[in-house]
Amino acid sequence: MLEYESKEIFGKFDIPLVNNIIIFKEDDIEEKVKEFSFPAIVKSQIAIGSRKKAGLIKIAKSTNEAILLCEEYFNRDVAGFQVEAILIEELVTIEQEYYCSIALDASGRQFYLIASKEGGIDIEEVSKTTPEAILKESFSFQDGVSEELANHIANQLGFSGKQVAEASQIFMKLWKIALKLEAQLVEINPLVMTPSGLIAVDGKMILDDDAGFRQPIVQILQEKKLSELEKVAKEAGFSFVELSGEIGILANGAGLTMALLDVLSEIGLHPANFLDVGGGASKERVYKALELIFKLTPKVVLVNIFGGITRCDIVAQAIIQALGDFLDAPPMVIRLTGTNEKEGIALLKEADIDAFQDVMKAVKKIKEVLGE
Amino acid sequence: MHISENSKVVVQGITGKQGMFHTQLMLKYGTKIVAGVTPGKGGQKVHGVPVFNNVKEAIQETSPDTSIIFVPARFTLGAAMESLNAGIRMTCIITENVPVFDMIQLVEKAREKKLYLIGPNCPGMLIPDKIKLGIMPSDMCHYGDVAIISKSGTLSYEITKAIGNRDIGISAYVGIGGDPVRGTTMQEAVAYYSDDPNTKIIVLIGEIGSDEEEKTAEFIKSNVSKPVIAYIAGKNAPEGKRMGHAGAIISGDVGTAKGKIEALKVAGASIANLPWDVPKILKELL
Repeated sequence: MLEYESKEIFGKFDIPLVNNIIIFKEDDIEEKVKEFSFPAIVKSQIAIGSRKKAGLIKIAKSTNEAILLCEEYFNRDVAGFQVEAILIEELVTIEQEYYCSIALDASGRQFYLIASKEGGIDIEEVSKTTPEAILKESFSFQDGVSEELANHIANQLGFSGKQVAEASQIFMKLWKIALKLEAQLVEINPLVMTPSGLIAVDGKMILDDDAGFRQPIVQILQEKKLSELEKVAKEAGFSFVELSGEIGILANGAGLTMALLDVLSEIGLHPANFLDVGGGASKERVYKALELIFKLTPKVVLVNIFGGITRCDIVAQAIIQALGDFLDAPPMVIRLTGTNEKEGIALLKEADIDAFQDVMKAVKKIKEVLGE
Repeated sequence: MHISENSKVVVQGITGKQGMFHTQLMLKYGTKIVAGVTPGKGGQKVHGVPVFNNVKEAIQETSPDTSIIFVPARFTLGAAMESLNAGIRMTCIITENVPVFDMIQLVEKAREKKLYLIGPNCPGMLIPDKIKLGIMPSDMCHYGDVAIISKSGTLSYEITKAIGNRDIGISAYVGIGGDPVRGTTMQEAVAYYSDDPNTKIIVLIGEIGSDEEEKTAEFIKSNVSKPVIAYIAGKNAPEGKRMGHAGAIISGDVGTAKGKIEALKVAGASIANLPWDVPKILKELL
């Protein structure tokens, strides 16, 4: 999620923000910038880290400077990413920077309210180098962030008087956001003390893909972050991740597919992708998966199926059809075992395609095909 | 875990395609399935098993103590809550893509009522020749004294079958699932089989993502005297990408295979470099 998207949500939950404007199109730059007063900070909204270092966040002293900067940002391509929008914010006087977040500890199956006086920096780094600088209190889903818990952290952070209530209100709102959006992380970093009070200067959220069916925002964000091929895979119903090697992979089971990638790497072969075709795959799904892998133009395709719910004969039918349809398909090495393996291997044999039952033999065959 | 050949099972979602299919396979294995539940379908029978509208009715008529859930993800919270509220001792969630916040609520409910949950997104559990509560292949192995605890399904089938092929027996096969929030954590499963008199050796099949293996390693170091063998998948997974399982994602340097392997080594576990090394190491230990 980009900074402006997090801030939009913070705004909806009345978390104090610095005055800002957001520009989505080059055509709107002049009109919008002229409404704002400068100097101000111009921040490009793009899905990469360390924007400051990359020169993607700069101070504009005047309206003209801001217009030029916005134009430059919109036309910049950083490692294949485009600037999606530009956020312009008032400069604030910083008295002190803080960090605060609500985070799910998945393996511990509880939530944490986390805060630190070391704001604005990488919290994971701080937790390694100076863990004592981080305040952490766990709480359950049922209890949520109580006023007592929030006040306790606010006091420990060194706030006093009405600042305690100000800070603890923000902590409780973070939990409200987490609950409402089913977020595993809601973070304000930094939270800044200014002469007029606390404001959230930057923020981040991690949402749950599996809650997408009741959280529309999750669907919107998912669409944005997937590559074109990953979108095709999602629609067809299998897991796919593009990698950089030359061996195309079609396998079933997430763990088994990962293990297969490890085995290949171990002997110096580089996978072009991760593809778990999923349980009980139909002929159409396997065919679509092969079509997708062929688009990566790998040197060899390895099919590795351990049939449980998935039937080897159906996989074989899909392979035969794909090889008939795609005459420029790369050589295939196939390993089938489990449910209906005999039928599957017999079908392939009829079509003059070799298949193995032992995965190591299949892997050796790849080396042969590559001429190594 | 918390099941035996005497467990009486209710299948929630028994009239669905998966529920129906696996009910048949579990019955064939010898699992005592006493009831099925699908709201609105009470009175029907599936493979001879009576179907009820809710878990409470199923308990009144057939007194099950174990549940296995096949309902779609969006109904899983309701189904599992029903099972926990009715006091079912062990609830096993097979369903994939259950929202994290639903699982957190279920875990808290199970804790409050002192009941057990396993899954979601898991193949279930198997005690060879005694009970199959899940969707794993039935013919992987026979009974013996090695417990297998796995985050993944298919990979664990492959390894379990390889162990079975070497004529090594299994005391229990436990799939804890590939999601980030689990009803039973890896550490809890290890603790259970560390105390189980029928288990001599524990095999862990882990994968990238979360800090389950690291926490388990900490636990093993000071609490487990039985030999532990571990295989971790995903040594070559890229950072920030979900590798099929919801929980299989490396963020920053948290959740890498390397970190997990190091932690388990320090804890005294034998590390299998490849999946097929697990049976080899087992042979040496036995």
